[in-house]
Amino acid sequence: MAGVLQGEVLLPEQIADLLGLEGALGAAVGALIGAFVVGNVMLAFTGVAGPWAKRKITAAFTDRIAVNRIGPFGLFIIIADSVRLLSKELIIPDGADRPSYDLAPLILPASAMLGFAVIPMGSLGPFNIQLADPEAGLALVFAFASIASISLVMGGYASNNKYSLMGGLRAVAQNIAYEIPLIVTAMSVVVFTGSLQLSTIVAEQSTTLVSIAGVSIPAWFAFVNPFAFVLFLVANMAEIGRNPFDIPEAPTEIVAGYQTEYSSVYFVLFYLGEFLHVFLGGAIMATIFLGGPAGPVLPGFVWFVIKIWAFFLFTQWARSALPRVRIDQLIEIGWKGMLVLSFANLVLTAIIVGVIA
Amino acid sequence: MSVELPADTDAVQTPEEIADLLGDLVIGREEHLNAPGFVIKPDTVVDALRRLRDQAGFDHLSCVTAEEYEDRYESIYHLTSYDDRTQEVSIVVPADKENPVSQSANEVFRTADWHEREAYDLIGIEYDDHPDLRRILLPETWQGHPLGQSYDQDQPQVVPLREHQNPLLEDQKADNDSETMYLNIGPHHPATHGVLHIKTVLDGEQVVDLEPDIGYLHRCEEQMCQNSTYRYQIMPYPDRWDYISAGLLNEWAYARTAEELADIEVPEYAQIIRTMGAELCRMAAHFLALGTFALDIYGDFTALFMYSIRDREKVQNILEELTGQRLMFNYFRLGGVVWDLPEPREEFFEMTRDFLDDLPTALEEYHDMMTSNEILQVRTVDTGVLPPEVAKSYGATGPVARGSGIDYDVRRDDPYGYYENLDWDVVTEDGCDNFSRLLVRMREVEESAKIVEQCIDLLEDWPEDERNIQSNVPRTIKPDDDTEIYKAVEGAKGELGIYIRSDGTEKPGRFKIRSPCFSNLQTLPEMSNGEYVPDAIASLGSLDIVLGEVDR
Amino acid sequence: MIGLLKGMATTMKHALDGKTFTVEYPETAPEVSPRFRGVHKFSQERCIWCRQCENVCPNDTIQIVMDDQRNGEQYNLHIGQCIYCRLCEEVCPVDAILLTQNFEFTADTKDEFAYNKEQLKNVPWYKGIDPLNSRNPDRDAWIGEGDGEVDYQ
Repeated sequence: MAGVLQGEVLLPEQIADLLGLEGALGAAVGALIGAFVVGNVMLAFTGVAGPWAKRKITAAFTDRIAVNRIGPFGLFIIIADSVRLLSKELIIPDGADRPSYDLAPLILPASAMLGFAVIPMGSLGPFNIQLADPEAGLALVFAFASIASISLVMGGYASNNKYSLMGGLRAVAQNIAYEIPLIVTAMSVVVFTGSLQLSTIVAEQSTTLVSIAGVSIPAWFAFVNPFAFVLFLVANMAEIGRNPFDIPEAPTEIVAGYQTEYSSVYFVLFYLGEFLHVFLGGAIMATIFLGGPAGPVLPGFVWFVIKIWAFFLFTQWARSALPRVRIDQLIEIGWKGMLVLSFANLVLTAIIVGVIA
Repeated sequence: MSVELPADTDAVQTPEEIADLLGDLVIGREEHLNAPGFVIKPDTVVDALRRLRDQAGFDHLSCVTAEEYEDRYESIYHLTSYDDRTQEVSIVVPADKENPVSQSANEVFRTADWHEREAYDLIGIEYDDHPDLRRILLPETWQGHPLGQSYDQDQPQVVPLREHQNPLLEDQKADNDSETMYLNIGPHHPATHGVLHIKTVLDGEQVVDLEPDIGYLHRCEEQMCQNSTYRYQIMPYPDRWDYISAGLLNEWAYARTAEELADIEVPEYAQIIRTMGAELCRMAAHFLALGTFALDIYGDFTALFMYSIRDREKVQNILEELTGQRLMFNYFRLGGVVWDLPEPREEFFEMTRDFLDDLPTALEEYHDMMTSNEILQVRTVDTGVLPPEVAKSYGATGPVARGSGIDYDVRRDDPYGYYENLDWDVVTEDGCDNFSRLLVRMREVEESAKIVEQCIDLLEDWPEDERNIQSNVPRTIKPDDDTEIYKAVEGAKGELGIYIRSDGTEKPGRFKIRSPCFSNLQTLPEMSNGEYVPDAIASLGSLDIVLGEVDR
Repeated sequence: MIGLLKGMATTMKHALDGKTFTVEYPETAPEVSPRFRGVHKFSQERCIWCRQCENVCPNDTIQIVMDDQRNGEQYNLHIGQCIYCRLCEEVCPVDAILLTQNFEFTADTKDEFAYNKEQLKNVPWYKGIDPLNSRNPDRDAWIGEGDGEVDYQ
């Protein structure tokens, strides 16, 4: 069991130690290098996911072959696609509101990257991959994740396009409706752990729930409270805007929503940002419901990667099979269904924890 | 505008009774091959049509044909009944050559709106009391009326916008107090199924007003047919009206009309092949309709779209074996079909049977993914509602009408081909919503499969020396001068009718296509006003239009 | 909920069975029906310059130029304009023009698609299929008795 225990040395300090630097300089250099490494790993994931894995997975669901010409399994399409996307002309509409039009595509990936700072990603060899472990880690990660909707509104508004505007407005409505159930459901986990610190939440899940025929099932909160897990899964899908809740983009209705007017590099940034958010959503799920980096045999980091990719796969699976709900239905499900259920879940959890403890 | 319900009366049977009913409105009589024609004055159109609708049960204005003659303009209203398709009557309305004004029928049949706009656009007849007499197929800046006799082909046909009232400037003038937003959906939009432009006025996400703007794909199909010979040259073109693999159905529309016009017999064996081919086409067209509808609802490049394309591909393989082509078949000829079944016949039968055997499994998958899917149900049930009276007033036919509970199918009601002798049902659903139209299409695929299966059985047992694929047809066909006929078949999208007036030469004098999509698309505002944008998109998808057929 | 799960199960079933419906096109050339109508092939040796194909063509794709003795000089066919209705083959009394199964043709400009009789003669058979054989049974209805062997080269 490669769980990360509270108080373990974090990645920046380890790097500082390795380089023999101390004090403020060590902390700064360590943090920079650590952030660089983690950020690039995540970007690499999105690089694989966007141009290649998404195509391959969709193709599998739809009985097609998909990219297979360039490189092994068509993997080099990633390079070809990057060159293609980056070399396209950047078209900026006449009436665009410049600073915010330019900032929007930066905010989306940046907010997702920030979120990864506090996620405990387990250990790989001697390294414990977590950049920071603040007391209020869970609150922080939700705060970072929800900055995304600001980017969507900015992009939608600044594009000076009616479809973009509608996409941006839809994004806000959706985010408000699903943020609350999302966080309230996450709170039910906090009721168990009594801490917002992510490493504590992960550590709490490393105990054994039950042992069946010698196989011990860990006390992952997905097993402890499957109802909360399902609620969180649905709210998370809506939060990151994946099918069946992809209404801010809704290609057949409002063309491409907030990103209609974005091309070239800006489009790449939006695209990256979306995938980063999917992975961040997966990382949050893994951390608070699936035992973080816990898992047998393989190193913790590998398990962590498997879990976030599993979540990515799930979003693609849902994309292939589920119709999109309508905006009013989405809001209705959010306010009338999810909100009530998530509070019920919180109260029930609190009662159960109160009775047991 | 409210819909007036036609009174429930016994259908008038004979032309004499119709003449009595119209009374002094009739100023002359004509005889069309398909129906009696009554000439009336241009200012009594509403009166005459209302009498026929309310007292004789002619509640379906199938088509409006217009033409310019040497001495007059003429509009013909082809009326029939949803209850009894064999009841037909043509109301002929001559208009003055110098000042072609005729009363609009829009008050009685709302479908006349677009049909008369088309007549105005192409021929130049002006309709009094028409709510919105503008060009419909050609751009607003077009000069002249191209099917009129005085049309000068050498003059510049379009003037620049600066010399014309600029529609773009007008749109910019937003009312400051306005609570609504004007949105152009299309002509380039992922869900318009081609080049369709929908002018939409939105209040938030809800549609306040919606107007389809068509004509982007107008290819002068009618005029091309008028410049081609009956015998060979017209037949390749129907494939290109509804180009979504419904080619044989379209060809049949022309074949039926021309065969009736020139009095050509079709051997029974050829009729069975035609029936089989046509139903295969209908399946292919419905598969695509299901797939694209799924695309509109699911939004992304979904699995269901791919699965329906896969099944369509199988149908197309069969059709390729039969006709040689996958879309533009050109397989029918006047008096039969061009080829017998491909040799070895057993292989062809086996291929078709394999497809039919696999079909229930495939349909099961569709049901798993669509009809039993709760999200799809909440999206489609009770959205895009089209009440039967409204559908009738707009002349909706095909799956759109049958999804509104109108039991109307030309294959059964005005039989042609081999349909009479086969065992199949007309599918109707009473929901009047997007979901019903989806269900109708899915069940029609099953019915088509039944028909194809029976045809295969018949063809397999057909005696070898009686396989006559074509009757003896002269090389040139010259129907008698001034013979008029309007005939329709059940295309994939509804009633596909063709009006031909012969002028004694080997080419038609007037060739008019009554496209089902054209009439069906007219119902879109009725279905979408007050609904959300996604539902308007879904309704458009459920209408299953093909712009090639709308614009012709 | 059951309906949603059924839909997801269906797509997952397709993902796991590993079957694909699409093919890798240039490597796997599709099987086309012998009746398929592709680019034309013309044989000057057989042509009697009766101009029936030119007359029947619905959109003036075929252009024939003859000298004053009615000897054929040019036979031009714009394969980019052709609608592949096969009427020319149908009316031809001597099988001088045939539609091969060849559907793969490219050019840099549309003008290059205006084929003359030499180019039309050199159009290759697709996979060596001679469409005449497969179409033969029914051709008699159109052209009367054929005289057997046809040599296009």
